[in-house]
Amino acid sequence: MRVLLRVLAPLLGLGLAAAGALLVIEVTAAWLLGAEISAGGTSIVADPGQQGVLVPWRAWRSGLEALTWRSLLMLAVCAAVALLGLLLVVLAGGARRRDIRLEDPAENVSVTTSPRVLARLVGQRVRAQDQVASASVTASARAVKVVAVCRGEVPEGLPAGVGAGAGALLEELPLARRPRLAVSVRSDGGPR
Amino acid sequence: MSSRSQRALARSRTGERTGITLIGLATLTAGVFGVLVGLEVFGQLRSRRPVLDPIAVDLLRTHALPARLVAVAVGVALVALGLLWAVRSLRPEPRPDLYLDPGAAGATVRVTASAATDALAADAESVPGVARAKARLVGRESAPALRLTLWLTDGADVRTVWRDVEDRVLAGARSSLGIRVLPTAIRLELDSSTGTSRVR
Repeated sequence: MRVLLRVLAPLLGLGLAAAGALLVIEVTAAWLLGAEISAGGTSIVADPGQQGVLVPWRAWRSGLEALTWRSLLMLAVCAAVALLGLLLVVLAGGARRRDIRLEDPAENVSVTTSPRVLARLVGQRVRAQDQVASASVTASARAVKVVAVCRGEVPEGLPAGVGAGAGALLEELPLARRPRLAVSVRSDGGPR
Repeated sequence: MSSRSQRALARSRTGERTGITLIGLATLTAGVFGVLVGLEVFGQLRSRRPVLDPIAVDLLRTHALPARLVAVAVGVALVALGLLWAVRSLRPEPRPDLYLDPGAAGATVRVTASAATDALAADAESVPGVARAKARLVGRESAPALRLTLWLTDGADVRTVWRDVEDRVLAGARSSLGIRVLPTAIRLELDSSTGTSRVR
């Protein structure tokens, strides 16, 4: 999301600038040309050749004057615009940093790591246990979720063992905030 | 906990996020308003009016000069704001040089950003458990900060590295450069070259 934000921000900026430039050009042109035309004794609207400098806004105007709010086209456009706005809000909200903070080792020094690193560390610890065949870990600053897989039936005490191992690792790390730990162990079926 | 060292963690995207949120909220409000008008929430009469209302057009026509002035001003403001935003978000993050305290001779010593960061990265790589290190100076020239990314070897003790980097590298750098405070953000990564992982 942060990458998308980095791409989108300058594009939106340039889009705003372009829209502003068009507005200035069109308004100024209509103003000056309109003054000339009315000095010549004709009104602006009556001039069929005058369509705008870069944007054919006079054609748009007649279109918009014929279009009512309740028309299907207008409703669809408004819904699309609302959806676009919602997407932008969600994008900006989702582009926050997901770093995991560690304790500061000294004043003026702050340490962070990524969720991937924490997940890998926990995963290494969990897989080191004999009965665990494989494990998948997802981590964030708030919660660590471990799913361990063992062959055959789940031995009694394995979930507690996996939980204790992962918990001990979280204790060893100088995490600023200890994440919640959720452990589940399942069997891969194995020989019956 | 220092806010300057925290700010050095990564380039701030707050400006971009705020701008996009505001544009998104404006777009969302406009769209929802349009849908509500069309669905006769503000009355049947209103929903049957044309989108470009003749009453509004007449109002603009009777106040042509102020309307034009406002439109031009809004346009100029949009151009300035949009260009400023685009330039700001495209501008590369600065790498400030370090200026050391003048000695007895009164001369200022400048350490270029690359010289300082090369030395710091080499120092950090000498810490046991650190496979690679990358250093970068960020912030303003008057208030520089250090961003240090460390790739740890497999099996490295995070707590030991966490303590050693401050004791050996940062304290040494501060004393050899003669600066009292160098806000530092350290980012710990695992060296990806050592084995594959099934963990996301």
